[in-house]
Amino acid sequence: MKRTPTNSRWLIAPFLLLLISSCRPNEGYPTQVDGWAPIYASVDSVKKIEGVAARSIESGGKIYIKDNILYQVESGQGIHVIDYSTPESPQKLKFIRCFGAQELSIMDNNLYTNNVNDLVVIDISDLNNIKLVGRKENLLRMVSTAPPESGYFECPDKSKGEIVGWQQKLLHNPRCRK
Amino acid sequence: MKKILYVFIPILFTVLLAACSKGNKGTESASGDTGQGGSLARYTIANQYLYMVDMRELKAFSLANPTDPVLTKTVQVGTDIETIFVFEDKLFIGSRQAMYIYSITNPSSPQYLGEASHVRACDPVIANQDYAYVTVRSGTDCGGTTNALYVYNVANILNPTQVNVIPMSSPYGLGKTDHVLYVCDGGNGLKVYDITSPVYPSHKNTINGEIFYDVIVDEADDLLICMVQGGTAIYRINGYNLEKLAKIVN
Repeated sequence: MKRTPTNSRWLIAPFLLLLISSCRPNEGYPTQVDGWAPIYASVDSVKKIEGVAARSIESGGKIYIKDNILYQVESGQGIHVIDYSTPESPQKLKFIRCFGAQELSIMDNNLYTNNVNDLVVIDISDLNNIKLVGRKENLLRMVSTAPPESGYFECPDKSKGEIVGWQQKLLHNPRCRK
Repeated sequence: MKKILYVFIPILFTVLLAACSKGNKGTESASGDTGQGGSLARYTIANQYLYMVDMRELKAFSLANPTDPVLTKTVQVGTDIETIFVFEDKLFIGSRQAMYIYSITNPSSPQYLGEASHVRACDPVIANQDYAYVTVRSGTDCGGTTNALYVYNVANILNPTQVNVIPMSSPYGLGKTDHVLYVCDGGNGLKVYDITSPVYPSHKNTINGEIFYDVIVDEADDLLICMVQGGTAIYRINGYNLEKLAKIVN
């Protein structure tokens, strides 16, 4: 009968394990945490580059100036075009829709930026007729299927479209971590 | 002593002015008029070449035909590259471990010249003929615990040497004119330094009220264009003082 306590201990073990694991739901993933979430665009629209009406700056990114015009990247979405020739009252002129945009540089009337991982050349000589004039496909590594920094992130969902960037936000029950 | 200063300071100004104006305005060539980016930029154009850095590589594209960029060179630079800055015939590349310097004397094929390692941190860099200013910021992703402005002597480009370290709180981008250095110290303000003595930046002012990430100096208009949390803020430069003119958000 000396073995009985040992046996009962072994019987309890799985229940203890179950209890411990139930105390740590989601294998350690927090229910609410600051992290990264993908920005999606539909597969059809992702390569479409166009000038659209000026819009509000939501997540202002990199800046560039030329000839009293300020260009500010809206991370993953495109580029704001803002006239600051009267610096006390800058005027938003246009928004260049270019999914995935993170960076830009300008020579003459050509704006160079990234459309996800393509290098694109956009003619900005006429802001009412912004047009794509060059594209080098898949040459860059600007946008990845993982977030740019470590931490928790919202798992990518292909049904939502193509990932064109990442934004920081408050996540609920994230299931991915980098 | 005063006489010496009167002679010396204008000379120094002239040297710095000559050195800076090109670097800050982007390199202009006969038919390739460029603008100015911030110090956090990963793209820059010089001599009708577009240079871009991703996490590991530097790519050079010829813009001889501006609508058809042609990749002429890919260089493995290091890891965790973040920024690129052009000054005359040199590229200054900031990574989380070091500042790398490449020659673009042959613009189609950047050549390695030298580097300066520093503590692991995020680090934009700007430079002129003789000095490079680098901010290093610690954090979860940047690594390290150091927050500072580093001054490097780059007169001997093959062997940059650290000549000063100034403590900061959470520095991001930076910009300069001939004698003033602006450092975006995140939520701790925009810090204004006199760099008449380039090795010893002298703190003159701190502008609060925004979370500052990057800055472009528009010298022609005496304006500072600042990337701040939520958008852009524009300041009028008046000596070491800055007057806020506008904030662009919605």
